[in-house]
Amino acid sequence: MEQAQKTDVIVTEGVTKVYEADGIPVNALNGIDLTIQSGEFTALVGPSGSGKTTFLNIISGLDAPTEGKVWLAGKVLSEMSGNELSDFRRDNIGFIFQAYNLIPVLTVEENVEYIMLLAGVPKAERHERVIAMLETVGLKGVADRKPTQLSGGQQQRVAIARAMVSEPEIILADEPTANLDSKTGADLLEMMRHLNAETGMTFIFSTHDPMVMESATRLITLRDGRVDTDETK
Amino acid sequence: MIPKIAFRNIFRQKRRTILTALAMIVGFTLLSLTIGLSDGAYGNIIAMFTRNRIGHIQVHREGYLDKPSLYKTIDNASAVGEAIQRIAGVEAWTPRVYGAGLGSVGEKSTAVQVIGVDVARETEATHFDQKVVEGSTLSETPSHEAVIGKGLAKIVSAAVGSEIVIVSQGADGSIANDLYKIVGIAESGDDITDRVACYLHIEDTQELLVLEGRVHEIVVIVSNINRVDKITGTIETQLNDPTLDVAPWQEVAKSFYRAMRTDQQGDAISRLVIMLIVAIGVLNTVLMSVLERTREYGVLKAVGTKPVQIFWLVVCEVVIIALGSICVGALLGALANYLFSIYGITYPEEITYGGMKLKTLYAEVNVRCLVIPAITVMLSAAVVSLFPAIKAARIMPAKAMRTH
Repeated sequence: MEQAQKTDVIVTEGVTKVYEADGIPVNALNGIDLTIQSGEFTALVGPSGSGKTTFLNIISGLDAPTEGKVWLAGKVLSEMSGNELSDFRRDNIGFIFQAYNLIPVLTVEENVEYIMLLAGVPKAERHERVIAMLETVGLKGVADRKPTQLSGGQQQRVAIARAMVSEPEIILADEPTANLDSKTGADLLEMMRHLNAETGMTFIFSTHDPMVMESATRLITLRDGRVDTDETK
Repeated sequence: MIPKIAFRNIFRQKRRTILTALAMIVGFTLLSLTIGLSDGAYGNIIAMFTRNRIGHIQVHREGYLDKPSLYKTIDNASAVGEAIQRIAGVEAWTPRVYGAGLGSVGEKSTAVQVIGVDVARETEATHFDQKVVEGSTLSETPSHEAVIGKGLAKIVSAAVGSEIVIVSQGADGSIANDLYKIVGIAESGDDITDRVACYLHIEDTQELLVLEGRVHEIVVIVSNINRVDKITGTIETQLNDPTLDVAPWQEVAKSFYRAMRTDQQGDAISRLVIMLIVAIGVLNTVLMSVLERTREYGVLKAVGTKPVQIFWLVVCEVVIIALGSICVGALLGALANYLFSIYGITYPEEITYGGMKLKTLYAEVNVRCLVIPAITVMLSAAVVSLFPAIKAARIMPAKAMRTH
């Protein structure tokens, strides 16, 4: 497949985040300047508390930086309203969470189609895409089950299907393999790597998993809220 | 999808849903019963007041109600009465003659109000015979008999069989006086009336006051009190006589009506208290539910649900529970009101309202006792859901997803 021309999908400039913990300010991020290009398979690594999840939250608009700016697909996140941010996330970002975060009252199919439903995709198209995506992630035949009726690995596959079914530009994954056994983790990682190669989606992981680090094309190490190393393989 | 998620959330948290619904159902039922008993009590009072005393509609000579006078009479009472009787919804009519005078029994005298009644018609219209608690009612033909109020009997120390002399003024300017045999003692339910009332046969009264067949009042009883205003209008149209005034009971007894309305408005306070209890109960459970699902709202927002959609999700859940509760509450409220409309609540002691004595409180099953609680529960549920809904809508996804 011919490689698409790379563009800057995420640009951060002096991103700082200070939390108040019991009245004491804690610097989670200390002026991060980064540029991530389309099609990258990037792993954010670093010890616990280094700011990986905070950074993912801020570049997706789930949290606001104390200082600095974030451009996502050319838009400044801090200039968007709550509704605009929601629409932007719906159309441009897919999330994969460590704890899966599926909607418990919805079936697998409904969870996966939820974002397309918000985007107003017609029912027939939704159904077709959901079934195809469930097949891609190896979940054929479980569309009518509730998340609680699935194993951890299956739930994470549903989360991956939900994140990718609407074909967003960016997939953000927070420790996606942390709660999975190594085989399931490896399978899912392979699947994401394959999708990255096939569709050119940008993947950014926060991870402690050496397997993910191995697969990544770029490895950014955070330490004390700063970029410690940034290697492209 | 939002209503679907809302609907499923309701069944997911059964205990919380039951608690929320219970607050609404109990509130609905209490409110319904309060309205049913209040309407029943006032309806009973109005029925007693109108049916036994003033009737539902009255016809007088123009200006009589504002300034009663011996000379303001209806000259063709029978023709007017017959015309009224032909109107649909009219159950009965009865003519009356009024006069003021002095009543004497033995050596005791007091002011009396002479009320001349057509015994047969008055019995049919206002159950006059049932007011006689001692002795007998008046004869249907003029026989110089009198039935006096219980209070009046006490004042002049009269008993059945005593004779009463009435002194008054005739319409021709003469001094009117005559002697009547007391055949019965009446109790109308209104102590003030009973202290002055002296009922005579209408023809005896006309003879005493030299009225020559004229009457002061025609009392009309209708089969459905709620149609009084419409029937009043029809009577006016049918009679087409500008010298006659046709007035519904609310106009005839203005001060009584106003006092009762004020009293009814006072009931709004008890309704407000019930509404507040319902609202606080609902607010508490909905807030708890929102707090418990903070993480879930965070996820919904993270994947692209707009704040306004989260807001509607919370409101939707409360509204669905409210709708279900209203259905159950309506059944319970109607049943409770129906049972109390049959069996009633007996007062520990007889109470008096507007001169009328009440022994039992009966509820009334009507549209109001279902519609007002339904609107109240729905509105209060919707209003109290706003705060948790706004809270959920404003959740910061990253922070929300850190909660457990």
